[in-house]
Amino acid sequence: MAEITWPWQYNFPPFFTIQPHSETRAKQLEAWETLIIDYLKASKQSTIDIRESQNTPLFNNAAIERKLSQEAVLTILEDMAKTGKAAPVDKSKNVWEIYWHSLDEWGNMIYNWACNNGMNNSVCTLFELREGDNTADQEFHGLDMNVLVKALKRLELKSRCELMEFDDSQGVKFF
Amino acid sequence: MRRRAGVGAIQKQRLEQEKYREKGSEIQENQFQQMSKQLEVFRDNLEDFATKHKNEIKKNAQFRRQFQEMCAAIGVDPLASGKGFWSVLGIGDFYYELGVQIVEVCLATNYKNGGLITLEELRTRLIAARGKAKTHQDITNEDLLAAIKKLKIFGNGFTIVPVGKGKWLVQSVPGELNLDQTLVLQKANSLGTAWVSAGILTGDLRWNETRAQNALDHMVKEGLAWVDSQDSKETLYWFPSMFAECVSA
Repeated sequence: MAEITWPWQYNFPPFFTIQPHSETRAKQLEAWETLIIDYLKASKQSTIDIRESQNTPLFNNAAIERKLSQEAVLTILEDMAKTGKAAPVDKSKNVWEIYWHSLDEWGNMIYNWACNNGMNNSVCTLFELREGDNTADQEFHGLDMNVLVKALKRLELKSRCELMEFDDSQGVKFF
Repeated sequence: MRRRAGVGAIQKQRLEQEKYREKGSEIQENQFQQMSKQLEVFRDNLEDFATKHKNEIKKNAQFRRQFQEMCAAIGVDPLASGKGFWSVLGIGDFYYELGVQIVEVCLATNYKNGGLITLEELRTRLIAARGKAKTHQDITNEDLLAAIKKLKIFGNGFTIVPVGKGKWLVQSVPGELNLDQTLVLQKANSLGTAWVSAGILTGDLRWNETRAQNALDHMVKEGLAWVDSQDSKETLYWFPSMFAECVSA
């Protein structure tokens, strides 16, 4: 379980009911989005399965007996999708990827790391990027594989790198 | 047979009236002169007093309150105008400065409390923002109330809602709370729960269903209350401004 400091809203019972008043709801959604991102960041996760959302303490505060309904989670995630902070993975919108940084930001972060470490024109595996000792202090260390690939594909579009397939793993070459 | 009044008597009467009138205006004149003189003396003294105690007024809360009380007793409002001889007191400046700081605190916390804040929270935050010197810390509730009253000249943007003995809420969003809404806040305050429900209002205040629901709906619409539909019994209406964790956040 992730260790985070819960915001005051987490213990505020109505926080778990989507608010009818638009201004209040906007504040509520904003607080939820920050909380979701902080929580996933701390636990190094990038996906949320709405069907299982009520099993996580993030959406279920047992102490005050309040939980966020599945529809409410969907409302929040759809709002996050508007700003590129989340995207549904399946058509039924059950599984979502959450980007604590946008894909472009992730891409730039990785590219900067590559440049700073003289990795230009050399190949490294995605495993190295995610698990290697060299990236242990980087924010993208341990990043979800799917998100990592998507971020690199964005970079590829900008001709900053090229993804390549090996026998059993994937690699990337930075330019 | 009764004698009718003669011309002589009428003229005599008129002459007397004339004399009375003359005497009257003479006395009035005298009194006016005396008053002017007194006022002048008073003004001089007050100016002396002010220049002598200017710092005291700014720094000492106790002194400030006594001064306010003294002014109230003689029916003058030292804050009514920045012009004229009251301005030399510098007491207005103190409250204007406080007013600006109050506005700042209210705006800074609006995002979480929807524009409703307890006077205690306002005071704590304001003192924290004013700096550590003792003179900056010595702000009483009376000072704040006086300063907020002055903010009324900007329209109904800042109002004080009394919610119980020695307890106030400060509302910093335009739109006046009606009596029912004030009663709702008082109820929530006296329960100490930060929430109320239609059931409580109908039960404790003997309101009918519609009256209770109207008041609550309106407060939701103003962004002052949050709806909580997960209570086992009924819908609860929460006020972040009274929720302890929100206040200290």
